[in-house]
Amino acid sequence: MAALAALLASLPAAVFLSLLFEGIDRKLHARMQGRIGPPVTQPFYDFAKLLNKESVFPSSSSKAIFASAPVIAAASSILAGAIPLASLVAGTSVVGDLILILYLLTMSSIMVMIGGSSSGNPYGAIGFSRKMVMLIGYEVPLLASILPLSLKSQHSFSYHGIVQSQVGMGTCFAFAYPSSAFAAAAFLACIPAAAGVVPFDVPEAKTEIVHGYLVEYGGPHLALARLAKDAASFALSFLALTLFFYHPPLFEGHASLGGLASAILCVAFAPAMMFLTVTVPRTVFARLKVGQAFKFCWSLPLTLSALSVVLSAAGF
Amino acid sequence: MRQEGSAVRIGARSRIKSPWLFHLNTGSCNGCDIEIVASLAPRYDAERLGCVLVGSPRHADVILVTGPVTRQMLPRVIRVYEQLPEPKSLVAVGTCAASGAPFIGSGVIEGPLDGIIPVDAYVLGCPPRPEAIVRGIVTAVRRRFS
Amino acid sequence: MTGETRELEYDYSRLVVPFGPVHPALKEPVHFKVFVKKEEVVDVGLRLGHVHRGIEALAETRNLVQAMYLVERVCGICSHSHTTCFVGALEEIGRIQPSERALYLRTLVFELERLHSHLLWLGIMAYEIGFDTLFMFAFNTREAVLDLFEEITGNRVHHSMNVIGGVRWDLDGRMVEKVGRSMSKVREAAQRIREIFQDKTVEERLSGVGLLDRGAAQELCTVGPTARGSGLKTDVRKEDPYAAYGALEGSFSIVTRTEGDAYARTEVRIFEIFETINMINEILARLPGGSIRPGETIIRSMNRVPQGEAVSRVEAPRGELLYYVRTDGKGGLRRLKVRTPTLANIVGLRQMLIGGEVADIPVVVASIDPCLSCTNRITVIDLDKGGAGEPLRRRRRKWPH
Ligand code: SF4
Repeated sequence: MAALAALLASLPAAVFLSLLFEGIDRKLHARMQGRIGPPVTQPFYDFAKLLNKESVFPSSSSKAIFASAPVIAAASSILAGAIPLASLVAGTSVVGDLILILYLLTMSSIMVMIGGSSSGNPYGAIGFSRKMVMLIGYEVPLLASILPLSLKSQHSFSYHGIVQSQVGMGTCFAFAYPSSAFAAAAFLACIPAAAGVVPFDVPEAKTEIVHGYLVEYGGPHLALARLAKDAASFALSFLALTLFFYHPPLFEGHASLGGLASAILCVAFAPAMMFLTVTVPRTVFARLKVGQAFKFCWSLPLTLSALSVVLSAAGF
Repeated sequence: MRQEGSAVRIGARSRIKSPWLFHLNTGSCNGCDIEIVASLAPRYDAERLGCVLVGSPRHADVILVTGPVTRQMLPRVIRVYEQLPEPKSLVAVGTCAASGAPFIGSGVIEGPLDGIIPVDAYVLGCPPRPEAIVRGIVTAVRRRFS
Repeated sequence: MTGETRELEYDYSRLVVPFGPVHPALKEPVHFKVFVKKEEVVDVGLRLGHVHRGIEALAETRNLVQAMYLVERVCGICSHSHTTCFVGALEEIGRIQPSERALYLRTLVFELERLHSHLLWLGIMAYEIGFDTLFMFAFNTREAVLDLFEEITGNRVHHSMNVIGGVRWDLDGRMVEKVGRSMSKVREAAQRIREIFQDKTVEERLSGVGLLDRGAAQELCTVGPTARGSGLKTDVRKEDPYAAYGALEGSFSIVTRTEGDAYARTEVRIFEIFETINMINEILARLPGGSIRPGETIIRSMNRVPQGEAVSRVEAPRGELLYYVRTDGKGGLRRLKVRTPTLANIVGLRQMLIGGEVADIPVVVASIDPCLSCTNRITVIDLDKGGAGEPLRRRRRKWPH
């Protein structure tokens, strides 16, 4: 029951944090370019404004899919952000929830993609096919990089179980074993692709295909589609922090406060993760082409994660 | 009653705080267009006021129109204007868009713009300085959205 | 943009992607109809004319001084090239020789303009490949040049520098120093931009795309950096010196590359930035004394231009710009013909695009630095389709001959 209450409370928290994280990201991005940048609260204004706008349906779209896709996408990526929060706070462990989280993230990008292609716009169609390629590119290394963790934590696929096993070890996975260190590197390298930011934002490249699958969205639907993306990058950076860098002396809360304190600490440190994996790449790199992006995903992250799986199977 | 009031206020405030721009060239000489881009660059940085240049009219709140509206662009101006979801605002950037000035008398100019679609703010100058463009956006947004 | 000429042919693999006329990658309207198969471009159709403003015809209704303002507004990026070319033709007709100092100042602003145009272009290129940081950096560097423009001529974009027989604004010693200081700053920044463009992710996006070999470049009569990127050593400043370029011949060289791809064209422009900075420093060092324009009013000089015709060429930042001017001897124009560099280069686009990827289209299109407001010289009006052409027909008049 407590777990359910925690989950319900985490949902608005996840929405809030996703928007806040986007604000931080945009501010840092601007500062790195020598600009003042928008206020950190800017995404909230954007979100409120888009919700208040009229929604337009292109005549060539299939309306039901077009309208429902962003809703499902936003719901699933918010859930993906809320579950880790809730299970940290409540301290409950559900079997296989890590798989669920990753599945939800994939679900969210697939939904946006389907929604975009249902608009009947050729740019949406190109965005669809590009997103498909990218999905295949980053999903494999992303999933593979989780395997070593589960091997090291008694074959558990429970998020909380993995986090807790770091407490048991007294150090975080990124520094514990060579295999998990490689896994951490692979996971981090996948985040820019999974979050769809600049070197890998091919499916929605503005100058090439006019925001790709977002091209026909406007108003509330656009707000939700963007929220889905923000929530995904929040969830990913939060996951990266807690799965690989949950250093117990730092994050393990005081006994009196329990999970809440460590959840808050993690939230406070997650922007650093996001800065490394989202803001920096999008500031210092140019956009890749779809083929190059795919090649990248299947070279560096895949090698790293394959290495980590092999190493962990060998017991390192 | 009060609740509704505050919801409206939040809506208006968020609109003022986040004007997304769509730039439409209707036959300008590039001078104005480049100054619009310059107003987003570090020195003038319009993004600190929430202005973002978007690529699809469906995402935009404000259209910046430059140029004297040539005959070829006339249907497209109207089309793009219609594609913007409500509420929307329009800024005529440059003397060209405001009055057609240097090109008045040409047989292929349909402008000025305010004879075609409603304009909320005129930014004069050939080309106007980036500060003036930013000011024009803010004025239009304030006028239309609050 | 949306739904515009949307044809899904039921070959399923072949898709017509409308690219423009209103497209975020293009600052100006032009319409490409791109036929793609998967991500490969199989054919390209081009349609111009969206920003045709009828400047040539309009100029015939104005006097020479008014026409000067008009041709300046052909293009907002190379406005000084247009007036220099126009005024060059008028001076040839009127056999007016501007003073040395005026010619040097003209050249100075001309080269500053090349500097700002190339920096702008580098920024746009960075934007096209999704490299926002470089875009911001290039634009910030460009502001330094625009500040100089503002201090010299009073305006950031349209300078109104040229008058018949001279220039309008002079440079004092303080300004000369300031230009020199800014140049060293710009050089430093350009050095950094060059290093960033040598970065691998950037190079990967640019090299090998938009190929145009030497033969094709020659056959299609490409000009400017586009031609020089394909190995053609052509530059009006050397071949047919105007303004003070004859005297400055030794202080710059023609940059060429042989690869003929987008990266080569980028490199040509980057190195031209350095050549231009050198030349500006040379101009500042050698700036002769004297007056900058004839002592008479502009109306006087205008009336001194007799009936006659002339062709004038200059090397605008984008390539060779050509004006044909015929005056009527009463301070007016009989005919004005402008051929802009982009019109010469844009025909090469089809060849560059075919066989490439969709992702390369913005890069390739940007790589020739298209300036469409220059290029749109005609508009096609279908008189059979009703009244759209009516006003044109009304104002069509007999060419005085
Ligand atoms: S107002 Fe002037 S600078 Fe702006 S587009 Fe018109 S002619 Fe060009």
